[in-house]
Amino acid sequence: MKNETVLIKKLVAITGAIMMIFLLGSCKKEVFNSGVTKEFTLQSVANGASYNIKVGQPSNYNPSAEKYATIYVLDGEEIFDFVANKCKEISENHAYKNVLVVSIGYGKDRSIDYTPTKISSITGGAPEFLSFIETQLIPKMEQDYNADTTRASRVILGHSYGGLFGGYAYCVNNKVFGNYILLSPSFWFDNLAALQMEKDNRAINKNQKQLVFMGIGEAENLGRMQAPFEAFYQTLHDNYSEIKLAKNIEKNLDHVGSRNPNIVKGLNYYFQNR
Amino acid sequence: MKQQKFLFIIISVLVYANSFAQKNISAVKEKHSTVRQLTIDPGIGIHSNFGTDLLISNLVQWNPKKHLSLASHSSFNINKILQRDFTGIKTNHNYSINQKFGVGTTFYSKKSSNTFLLMAGVKYTSFQETLINPDHNKVSASINSISPDYGLMYNLRKGVKKYFFSFRMYVPLYPWPVKDVNIYSVDGNMNNIALEFGVGIKIK
Repeated sequence: MKNETVLIKKLVAITGAIMMIFLLGSCKKEVFNSGVTKEFTLQSVANGASYNIKVGQPSNYNPSAEKYATIYVLDGEEIFDFVANKCKEISENHAYKNVLVVSIGYGKDRSIDYTPTKISSITGGAPEFLSFIETQLIPKMEQDYNADTTRASRVILGHSYGGLFGGYAYCVNNKVFGNYILLSPSFWFDNLAALQMEKDNRAINKNQKQLVFMGIGEAENLGRMQAPFEAFYQTLHDNYSEIKLAKNIEKNLDHVGSRNPNIVKGLNYYFQNR
Repeated sequence: MKQQKFLFIIISVLVYANSFAQKNISAVKEKHSTVRQLTIDPGIGIHSNFGTDLLISNLVQWNPKKHLSLASHSSFNINKILQRDFTGIKTNHNYSINQKFGVGTTFYSKKSSNTFLLMAGVKYTSFQETLINPDHNKVSASINSISPDYGLMYNLRKGVKKYFFSFRMYVPLYPWPVKDVNIYSVDGNMNNIALEFGVGIKIK
């Protein structure tokens, strides 16, 4: 009986130790090689907010001789390092030319900056935020970092409200970005406003060349994610002749869990098809 | 942070389990009325995702030896039962079915027993949403998915008679760390922690 008790205690202790090792190992924060990251702050003329910007430079960065495609990352304070590392990994593994990765930090509030219509006091700032990107951030990237000036060289990557913002930019100001990575986009927002914006601007955008990758988690079953996602995808598929389009439904993962796997798939799709 | 909460839950369950592995249990009498060889524990419950899922479950537990427990847990879950109609989007159905088997151990006290099980099985999830906004085409999206289901279960029984109060908690170990060791995937675990209550029946 005593041996049994001691054995059970040991099993519990071993199980606990294994769990701790897994959990603590998983909590390791991703870091991009800081030797090739530049930071600055830019104040928006449109909304007065200050945005912390990080620029991840590719290896062998040579701005005097080359122009670089640029990925603009929303929620950059959370995912910049992961995105920059994956871009480096993909470009090195497949001998693709790497890109500049631009993290856009939080200004007023992501709910304000990323949502296109005002339904509360903390929504509806996407027009000003897009204006900041188009008229201030992109010109600065082109001037100081020799970012490529063509639309086809610019990518917007966003998740959740960030995905909604990317969809908004696609619909109402399609000339800014030529490539869109829209992950778990909140297209349910304001009674499917993004779907209406797509419809309203379809005639202007339908013949533009663009690349769109859409990703979502299979377990996102809140009752408002999957149907709008599928509707937006089908609309692009049916109405846009010059589009490179792909989607991924990440198995068994939900809203937050599917983000990073879909970032990887989205970046791979972009690098392979740009 | 969600990962800290998950770590706290895991540690709490294990420390609680450890507290029952007493050094000297000779004072505990051999013949307990809380010792049951075969039981059926039907129950109802919720998931930890703000309690919007309704669970109808049953646990069959067999103790071939006093401290060895084998179990079968079956569950039918009506998911997001309060979130069926969103503006312009209707949920047609949203449910999941779980079947797991487990092995573990049981500790006994005068009026209760505590069982700790390592469970493994499968989960079938099915849901469908439809866009019903008159300004847009009617579009449906459906998911029918089978996924593994691993985790730790704790089962508390209170009472000494044939019928007893039963509470159980299930902490999934999927998707984190089995499918994805990235800590962000623990969100899926956190949303599926199950809390169930019921009245159990002693068969043998």
